[in-house]
Amino acid sequence: MSIYCSMIKESYKETEENELVKASLNGDKNAFGEIVTRYQKMVARTVKGMLGDSVFAEDIGQEVFINLYYSLPEFRGEAKLSTYIQRIAVNLTLNEIKRRKRFFSLFSQKANNEMHEVEIGDYDNEKRTEAAEIVNKALLAMDPKFRVIVTMRMLQGYSTKETAEILDLPLGTVLSRLSRAQKQLKSILEKL
Amino acid sequence: MNSLEIKKMIISSLNSDADIIGTSGRLEEEGISYNFSHNFKDKVLDKLFSAGVTINREVEFIKYMNFAFIRIALTGVAAIVVLLISIFLVQGSLSFNSFLGLSDNYDESIVCLLTGN
Repeated sequence: MSIYCSMIKESYKETEENELVKASLNGDKNAFGEIVTRYQKMVARTVKGMLGDSVFAEDIGQEVFINLYYSLPEFRGEAKLSTYIQRIAVNLTLNEIKRRKRFFSLFSQKANNEMHEVEIGDYDNEKRTEAAEIVNKALLAMDPKFRVIVTMRMLQGYSTKETAEILDLPLGTVLSRLSRAQKQLKSILEKL
Repeated sequence: MNSLEIKKMIISSLNSDADIIGTSGRLEEEGISYNFSHNFKDKVLDKLFSAGVTINREVEFIKYMNFAFIRIALTGVAAIVVLLISIFLVQGSLSFNSFLGLSDNYDESIVCLLTGN
């Protein structure tokens, strides 16, 4: 017990990623806490960029890290931890978008439109700048498969190659989606 | 930055040769930043590690139930064995009638016993 206790560090601020993963696999709460601290902003950008700044986004964010914790034994370290986390975040967010679409498709078109309005206005306008409002409205009006590309590119600052790696898509597909997303974004922004 | 400039910047960020890191940095300067609530980490850790405690408790409960079941079952088997031995000693056999305590009785005596005549 005393040996185990001495292995648990109080602070992991300077610790490398692979050590954090190893310590988390040993059940070290502080090590996993450090992973959450390091990547929560990145996950927030992906989840909130795609879902809007709603309370659901925070729940999905929590789910991302819970999924990460349980899938850590499968993480072989071939990709960066950030890429691995991004994949989980993108998959969970896309699932949530599908789930919402399915749920609201049960209701009338009117209800569907109301849901979209709620999504768009589901953030605190007072705290948001004009720029933030434009970006959020434009992103939420986009097709989800384009929304994810734009989020990775514009909010996360990933290159086309990195985006392709995260989304597990061929580079050509990402490039074509990027150009179609740009067209869609242009037409949305003209209306705003 | 006015709204027109912002829109232009957003659209140009999707060009394949765009300075994406610069763009995302500028967007952040314009207030486009996302974050979770200040106690997000604690919420995640609570969910993860309190769930572990619940699972442990469930496992422990099942263990206790199994232990209790084995003890009750063994006690029951021991009682049945003692009962069989005592029946054999008193009745001299382990027939169905001796189990029911009817080995020494004839049908007529049972009718007498039940009717009182």
